Amino acid sequence: MRRILTLAGFAAGLLLAAPSFAADSPAPVKLVIKPLLCVIDKDATSCAVTFDIRWKSPQPAEYCLSDSVQTTPLRCWPRALAGEMKQERQVTEEFRYWLSLPAGGLPPPAGAERLSEVKIEVLRVGSDDRRRERRTRHVWDVL
Amino acid sequence: MKILLKVAALWAVATLAIAQGVPADAAASQQTVTQEAPAAPPAVLPPERRWRLGAAVGYGERTNPLIQSDDIPVLIDLDIAYFGDHWFFDNGDLGLEFLDNDVVTANLVARVNSDRAFFSKTNTRYVTYSLMAGGNLAMLNNPQTGAPLTPVEALPLEPPKRSYAIEAGVEALFGGEWGQASLHAFHDVSRTHDGYELAADYSYRITRGRLSLSPSVGVSYKSSALSDYYWGVHKDEQSVTLAAYRARGGLGWEAGLRTNYYLTKSVRLAVSANYERLQHSISQSPLVERDYVFGYFAGVGWQF
Repeated sequence: MRRILTLAGFAAGLLLAAPSFAADSPAPVKLVIKPLLCVIDKDATSCAVTFDIRWKSPQPAEYCLSDSVQTTPLRCWPRALAGEMKQERQVTEEFRYWLSLPAGGLPPPAGAERLSEVKIEVLRVGSDDRRRERRTRHVWDVL
Repeated sequence: MKILLKVAALWAVATLAIAQGVPADAAASQQTVTQEAPAAPPAVLPPERRWRLGAAVGYGERTNPLIQSDDIPVLIDLDIAYFGDHWFFDNGDLGLEFLDNDVVTANLVARVNSDRAFFSKTNTRYVTYSLMAGGNLAMLNNPQTGAPLTPVEALPLEPPKRSYAIEAGVEALFGGEWGQASLHAFHDVSRTHDGYELAADYSYRITRGRLSLSPSVGVSYKSSALSDYYWGVHKDEQSVTLAAYRARGGLGWEAGLRTNYYLTKSVRLAVSANYERLQHSISQSPLVERDYVFGYFAGVGWQF
C-alpha cells in the first residue's frame, strides 16, 4: 500500500511538473540563412551580399529578427509560424542574425533570449604582406 | 589527351559542387521582402597570424618529362609557412626581407632547386640491340665487355643520378590592384651545378562571391651550367643506350590557373592546373621524353 502511494505521488508530481517543464523549454525555432560566408579580396573593403533569411517555428507567436550591427530589430512578424525575407547589405566584418520574442508589445530588449542564432563569417583572401603572396615553384605545390 | 580529359572531368565535378552551393533566387516566395541594410563602416583588421598552416587532400598529378620515369602523384599538398618581422619560411624557402616600401618588397632567399625532383622516380629499362638500332645495320659493341652486341642482348637504360642544389638569390615582389608580379635571380651556392636561374611571373586574382580564380604566367631563363647539369648527358654517363648531350641555357615559360571555392572560412574546394614548357635545349636532351610539364589537382583544402 505504501509503495502504491509513493508511485501515485511520483506520477502526480510528474503530471504537475510537465506543463512548467514545457513552458521552460520553448519549441526550437529554426533560422536558416544563406550564404553564411562573405569573401573579401584584399583590395576590397566589403562584399555585397543578398542574404536569404528563412525561419520556421512550431508555435505561432510574434518573432523579431535582429542583428549584431544595429540595436533595433530588422523586422517583426506578428503571430506567425514562418517568415522569410531577403536583405542586401555590404558586409565588412563578422556579425550575427537571431530571432527573439518581443517583450509586451515592445521590440525585444538587448538582452532578450535568442531563440535561434546564425553567424555570418568573413574571409579575407590575399594579404598586404607581399611575402604571403609569393608563389613557390615546388613540384608538389599545386594550390 | 588522357590528362586533359582527367582535368576536364575534375573541373566538371568542381563546377557541379559549386553550383550546388549557390542558393537559388527562384525559391523566394511572394512573402519575401527585400530589405537594404545601411552600409557598415570598414572593419579594423586584426593582425595576420605569423604561422600559415594548411593541407589539401584530393587527386592530382605532375607529369615527369624525364625518360624512364613515373609521373608524380599529388594526393596531399601541405602548406607550412612562418612570417616573422623580417625573416620567413615558406614551404622550404628561407627568406630575409631587406626592403619593403609602397612599390616593392625585396628578399634574400635560399631554396632547393626544383629540377632534381624529377630524378626521384626513375626506373631502369632494358633495351635490346634490335630496339636500339632501329633499322641501322652498323655494329655496336657492349661497353662493358667490348664484344659485339647480339640483337637479343639487353642493356640497361637508366637516367643518371642528380643531386639537390641549394640556391641563394634575390627576389622582388610587387603587388597592387593590377595583380601580383615577382622577379627572381638565383645562383647555386652548393657547388652542385654552378649555374643560375632568372625568372619573372605575374598573377591576377579575381574574386566573385565565394569563388576565386587566379590565372598566372611566368618565364624563366636557366643558364647553360644549370641546364646541362640536370638535363645533359655527361661524358662519363654516355653509353650505347644514351648518347652524350650538352644542354645549353634557354628560356622556358609557364601558365596556370588556380581556382578556389570557399565553403567555410577554413574549408575550400580547390582545382588547379599548370602547364610548363621546357626551354628548347632541355627539350632536345635524350633524357627528356616530353617537352612540357603538366600538373593538375582537385581536392578539398583546409586552412588551420
